[in-house]
Amino acid sequence: MLFVQLFVNGIQTGALYALIAAGFSLIFGTTRVFHVAHGATFTLAGFVFYELYTALAWAWPLAALGAGVAAAVFGMLVDRYVYSVIQRHEAAFFTVFVASFGLAIVVQNLITIGFGRGLVTVPTPLSKSLELLPGLYVAPMAAVAVLCAAVAFGLLHWLLTHTNLGLALRALGENPDLVRVYGLTPRRLSQYVFLIGSLLAVPAAILTAATSGLNPSMGHHIMLISIAATIVGGVGSLRGAAVAGLLLGMAENLSLAWIDPQWSEAVTFVVLFLFILFRPGGVFGRAVAS
Amino acid sequence: MKKLLAGLALCQGLTLTSLATAADLTIGGLLPMSGSNAEYGQIFSSGANLAVEHINASKMLSGKLSIVYEDSQALPMQGVIGMNKLVNVAKVPFVLSAFTGVSKAIAPIGTRSKTVMVNGGGVGPDLAELGEYFWNTIPLVDFEVRAMVPYLVKQRGLKRIALVYVDDPLGQSVVKELKTELGKAGGELAGSFSVPATAQQFSGIAARVRDVKPDAVYIASYGSQQGQIVKQLRDNGVSQQIASYSAFAIPSTLALPEARGAMFTSQKVDWNKSDDITRRMLDDYKKQYGKEPNMYVLNYYNAVRTFGVLAAALEKAGKPVTGENLLAQRKATKTFDFVGATVSFADNGTIQAPIQINEIGDKGAKPIADAAH
Amino acid sequence: MLAYLQNIAVLFCVNAMLAVTLNFIMGYAGIFSLAHAIFFGVGAYVAANIAMHFSDSLLLCVAGAVLVSGALSMVLALPALRVRGEYFVAASLGLQVIGVTVFSEWKGVTGGLGGLVGIPPPTVFGHALATPGEFLALAVAGLAAVLLITTALLRGSFGRSLMAIRDSESAAQAAGKWVAAIKTLSVAVSAGLAGVAGAIYAFYMSFVNVEGFMLETSILLMAMVIIGGTGTVFGPIIGAALLMLLPAALTYLPFLPPSELGTVQQIVYGAIMVLLMMYRPGGLVGGRRKGGKA
Repeated sequence: MLFVQLFVNGIQTGALYALIAAGFSLIFGTTRVFHVAHGATFTLAGFVFYELYTALAWAWPLAALGAGVAAAVFGMLVDRYVYSVIQRHEAAFFTVFVASFGLAIVVQNLITIGFGRGLVTVPTPLSKSLELLPGLYVAPMAAVAVLCAAVAFGLLHWLLTHTNLGLALRALGENPDLVRVYGLTPRRLSQYVFLIGSLLAVPAAILTAATSGLNPSMGHHIMLISIAATIVGGVGSLRGAAVAGLLLGMAENLSLAWIDPQWSEAVTFVVLFLFILFRPGGVFGRAVAS
Repeated sequence: MKKLLAGLALCQGLTLTSLATAADLTIGGLLPMSGSNAEYGQIFSSGANLAVEHINASKMLSGKLSIVYEDSQALPMQGVIGMNKLVNVAKVPFVLSAFTGVSKAIAPIGTRSKTVMVNGGGVGPDLAELGEYFWNTIPLVDFEVRAMVPYLVKQRGLKRIALVYVDDPLGQSVVKELKTELGKAGGELAGSFSVPATAQQFSGIAARVRDVKPDAVYIASYGSQQGQIVKQLRDNGVSQQIASYSAFAIPSTLALPEARGAMFTSQKVDWNKSDDITRRMLDDYKKQYGKEPNMYVLNYYNAVRTFGVLAAALEKAGKPVTGENLLAQRKATKTFDFVGATVSFADNGTIQAPIQINEIGDKGAKPIADAAH
Repeated sequence: MLAYLQNIAVLFCVNAMLAVTLNFIMGYAGIFSLAHAIFFGVGAYVAANIAMHFSDSLLLCVAGAVLVSGALSMVLALPALRVRGEYFVAASLGLQVIGVTVFSEWKGVTGGLGGLVGIPPPTVFGHALATPGEFLALAVAGLAAVLLITTALLRGSFGRSLMAIRDSESAAQAAGKWVAAIKTLSVAVSAGLAGVAGAIYAFYMSFVNVEGFMLETSILLMAMVIIGGTGTVFGPIIGAALLMLLPAALTYLPFLPPSELGTVQQIVYGAIMVLLMMYRPGGLVGGRRKGGKA
């Protein structure tokens, strides 16, 4: 029964990781920007939701909307005023990475000044688990997480395959110059990507606030997961990010059945490292020439 | 580079000329002011600041006392830089420290420069071994466990304890003490589960804790993580009694709905002690911050108070207030009136203080029992 | 005041050594590693263990640190040979996290989360180095040695081959360069010399624990190299100076409320990183142009 419990936990964690990675994967896959400030978007969304829902007692859909606005605006501003400036004179991957990282530090500390330094949680009865079978505890939150992930990925898939915007975004990921030939501006598309990608952080942030709580310095951890899931799943593949998120969440939980908990975080990165060594394209990605 | 150095020297010159009287004293505070442990820095400094205020208001010293802070970020290297600044630039004889890693890194510096370092937050056993100049105003965790176990087993009848701990010297000490004490009291360590210091997901741990069917769960963690452990244990079907040590006394854990009913040990504080020191501290803190002070606030208040008492004695005897003299004076002083209790320092700089058991309720923690001696 | 400046100077030298060695692979080989702090840590732990259990001879401890760091770097060289760019960054990230877990758990060697206390001072020709002045001399000597070795390697044909590989790996291969060997060697040199920095750090602090070797440190080192300017000789040194001295200098600002001291410092530090990348991406030394010159 322990195994079944860990399996179910793995699904809940995996769904959360898939949601977290989705935004980063979309942004990185289409614009090739290593947007580590995505962790800051996540933290911002979480704290805004907490403030609106718990402190100011708004209804949760309104609070979620508020968080969404905050996240989207942040992502788009960062793209417009920081990344575009850098990309104008050179496309060095690491310059953007360092700038993004600097931003993450600034936002993390601004949140600390604004919201305090301790753990905050969003209390909800949905996070309390029920004993479905003797020894098997599942919280309604698990179902919510899986549902959210399914809806988010479903919407994203529809967007990318059935709309013109989606087509343009996929083209951007493959060949930015070709996009210009068709009269579209990569700049404008980039703003859309950051809008959607940052919005994707919101459900994950809210769910995390309800299950494990938020603190201003959680951005790093979020980014580690996003990067690992994006690469293991294959850069440019959203399906990959979803599968990889699930895989990593499962691995982290199932490994508890055999190894000491200290090593469970390392498990995620051993998986990442092995994939990069032997299958850098990830599960669904394009082949990567070395 | 040269310009920068000249600039720094100029700044130092400027600060020196702004010091008014030679009798004014300065102490240092090396606390985490930013980063993931900044919550502690905020709490610790509020206690220290209040003590400085009180010392100045009651004119305990001949001049004005002030405290200068450096940000350790709870990291050893930053702590070393901050300590060096306090010792060599601000030239303080007395520094407040926090976090075991930082304390261990600065201990050699304090010992070499004969600067007193006082910890009021960490409770790891290694804090007793950092030399003569390192003092603790908080009883270390082995005392705390020794107080909690008999209470759990004998008063509450909770014999099988499961332990969730961070695998550092503090956690390892808790494992050892729990095993010994439970054996003595007739209980049993049903299972011990270590977690990485950076872990945030504990549903798997919760499953394993459930599996061993304990009567109570002891948690040895700190900061945000301990709150996450409590919440996720409760969310995942662990409904047994939760017990822990003084680290639970931070606002975010005390306010956590899932932590209601949890018990934790701490230094005994008799709130009803009607002496001036206790009353004034309580009242002023409530006035300034709108809530009751917690144990950490007390410990750092007491640390600064200790300085005040020792420095006043030195001034009366006409001796300069240096680290060396402070140490000698402390050794010569039998007891200290801390807020809510009277304590004495052991030779190794730790205090022997009575321990109490607290329970978290709707409005924070309340003491429910005294530890048996 | 002098002692404080000496303290900052020693730690600056250690950080500069790390930045220069990281630049060796980042700026010249195009290998962007986020795992540099691990080799720093390995050097520190090896030196500490040798000093605590076998001999406190400086030479022996440093040699041990270099050898073990260099040998361990093979783990990083593996992905370096197979992937580039973002993929390599992610692999190095994985190595960094795994390394921290090993540091935290291998208690016999690293002391676990509690770290190693009471590392004895190193001895040179029978004389133990104990005063801040002596440590400063050691640190400066270490930095000089690292600079000499890396510059010598870069000026010669090794350096040219390295840059050829960075600019176009397939062309370099076509020209007959043994790409795999050169890449591996460069990673080994970088890691080994980072090990020297680790040894000096361990002796100076006489206490090491895993907190000094975490992801934050690796990222800080990478920021030093990039802000200073990759592929330049003085870039990493300037970068190290700026990122190290900045927080120290900021503590002199009187108008900051003490409780927000740390957060404001970090905000300034982050903002500078962003602004520099926007307007001077070649770093302070490199200027508007990125990429290296010989």
